[in-house]
Amino acid sequence: MMRRLLLCLLLLVQARPALADDVLYLYNWNNYISDATVSRFETHCRCTLKQDYYSDNEEMLAKLEAGAVGYDVLVPTGNAVESLIRRGALRPLDQARLPHLGNIQAEYRNPWYDPSGHYAVPYATSVTLLGYNVDKLRELDLPTDTWALIFEPRHLAKIKGKVTVLNSQRELMAAAMRYLGHSVQSHELAQWQQAKRLLLRAKPYWAAFSNSTYIKDLAIGNIWVAHGYSNDMYRAQQDALAAHRPFSIGFATPKEGAVLAVDNFVLHKDGRRPDLALRFIDFMLEGANAADVSNLIGAGNPNAAALPHIQPEIAGHPAIFPPAAELRRLEMLRDFDPQLRRALSRMWTEVKVR
Amino acid sequence: MTSARRRFWCISNLNSGKLARWAVTLPPSLFLVVFFLLPALIVVAASLREPGEFGGLAPLFVDGAFTHALTLDSYRFFFGDTIYLEIFVKSFFIALLTTLICIALAYPLAWLIARSPKRRRDLLVLLVILPFASNLLIRVYAWILLLGPLNLLYTPVAVVAGMVYVHLPFMVLPLYTNLEKHDPALLEAAQDLGAGTWTRFWRVTFPLSLPGIFSGSALVFIPVLGMFAIPELLGGTGDLMIGNLIKEQFLDNRDWPFGATLSLLLTVAVLLCAGLATLAAKKSFKGTEAVT
Repeated sequence: MMRRLLLCLLLLVQARPALADDVLYLYNWNNYISDATVSRFETHCRCTLKQDYYSDNEEMLAKLEAGAVGYDVLVPTGNAVESLIRRGALRPLDQARLPHLGNIQAEYRNPWYDPSGHYAVPYATSVTLLGYNVDKLRELDLPTDTWALIFEPRHLAKIKGKVTVLNSQRELMAAAMRYLGHSVQSHELAQWQQAKRLLLRAKPYWAAFSNSTYIKDLAIGNIWVAHGYSNDMYRAQQDALAAHRPFSIGFATPKEGAVLAVDNFVLHKDGRRPDLALRFIDFMLEGANAADVSNLIGAGNPNAAALPHIQPEIAGHPAIFPPAAELRRLEMLRDFDPQLRRALSRMWTEVKVR
Repeated sequence: MTSARRRFWCISNLNSGKLARWAVTLPPSLFLVVFFLLPALIVVAASLREPGEFGGLAPLFVDGAFTHALTLDSYRFFFGDTIYLEIFVKSFFIALLTTLICIALAYPLAWLIARSPKRRRDLLVLLVILPFASNLLIRVYAWILLLGPLNLLYTPVAVVAGMVYVHLPFMVLPLYTNLEKHDPALLEAAQDLGAGTWTRFWRVTFPLSLPGIFSGSALVFIPVLGMFAIPELLGGTGDLMIGNLIKEQFLDNRDWPFGATLSLLLTVAVLLCAGLATLAAKKSFKGTEAVT
């Protein structure tokens, strides 16, 4: 009896590594794949999907830079993909093993951060825009399709203390640059100085720099205008609807243009299971699975086959799925050289402290 | 001589020897060298390098050729205008204010615990330590709920309140261990010589408790100076402290040399403060020796 027990234990111990071999490690944004899709993939590949989460690209890059290893798949935004490629941290994709790659729309193929398309498969998109309380802004007769709403004192005077902006140097300064008619990828220091002055002039009217609380504050009615991401605005809109608020939340891309973020699946070069990773990416390229992220959080989707599977109020929203003409007015953030990074960081400190 | 006694004799003989002294002091010294001195030197080196294109440090060699020499750029950038110095000064002010409030709050509390019946003291000390049972961030989050309705959230007042709350036990404990040891006979003697309550406190208890105040102040002042979580959660946009600046350089901006420069300047400033405090403490100890 005792011997048999020992034998069983021994078998268990030996079985462990064999099981552990079939684990795919995904370093992902929080709440970016539904549990249902995860378990469907696990059944499909007869393996385990383990996820770690990050809340911004810098956090992910900093952890990788500090030596984090073992992740097979990452989901970086465009600028972070470029940085990872330049550092030689990614493994090229074997496109022959991605039969569903054709589902990606032409507009999202061969982006500037991966012109050859060797490394990145676009998964989800979002636009940084303005969300607003529809009824309040109509009452105050304020425009909702321009950055002037959060930068011009003549508008801000009516909504003082009812506006939040993102607590992000890159996003907020990019919005100011678009409003001033400059590119968010500009290298002209004078243009950035101009953007800084615009922020300093508008700052007294803002209630707070907020990266997440604006969803709740907008849905409750604490604030009337928020600078934030399209998927968060969608959630605020749904929350306000579900709570039967006496007002509704809307969101629109300002006519001056805005920042588009495209998140991509990439393979980390130190990942141990590129085979599983490719199966995972191809699985997520199938229409029904690709649609998951849009239905889950209201993200935009670069996958053409996903569209029929996405709820019509999401798929039909021009701020979530920008029409081709509008797509041209959207720009992606790009990482700068160290000198400009340092100069921008100093400007941001000034915006914060002064 | 039994074997046990012989062994004892050997050990005691060794204890007095040089070998034993080395054996005892080597591990901690080694620990300090490996985990404090070396990293500190790495920080010094990093602060003198150029930032890498995508974070980290610029490579020293490109295609086998030495490219980036050392540079004082980060220091020039720091002293190039006043904004970073302002944040340093403000952080020192917040740390000082927190320390003073902690002394004012902790002194009566520590005195009360030291004067209470012996069997109750342990329980009271346990109550002082009890907040450590829950995570720092959770305790700070609780302050968001408290300060929100008072319209104090996202103000400097909120930052100082959070700092004082979190660091108060570090002031109470050293003060308590000090006050507990005071000999009541000294106070009785002072009373017999005609000293009133206040005189007894100022001329006897307070000078004797100075070592406790100094060690408590060091335990509060230095961590507060480097704290970044509390200003981030409770402070407004203007309530940046040095800790926030350093975190921003390493995480958001990926500018390691400037982050290293800020850390180094902070360390130097703290060491200066500690040096001054030790000097002050030495002087006051001489004063208290005369009393005891």
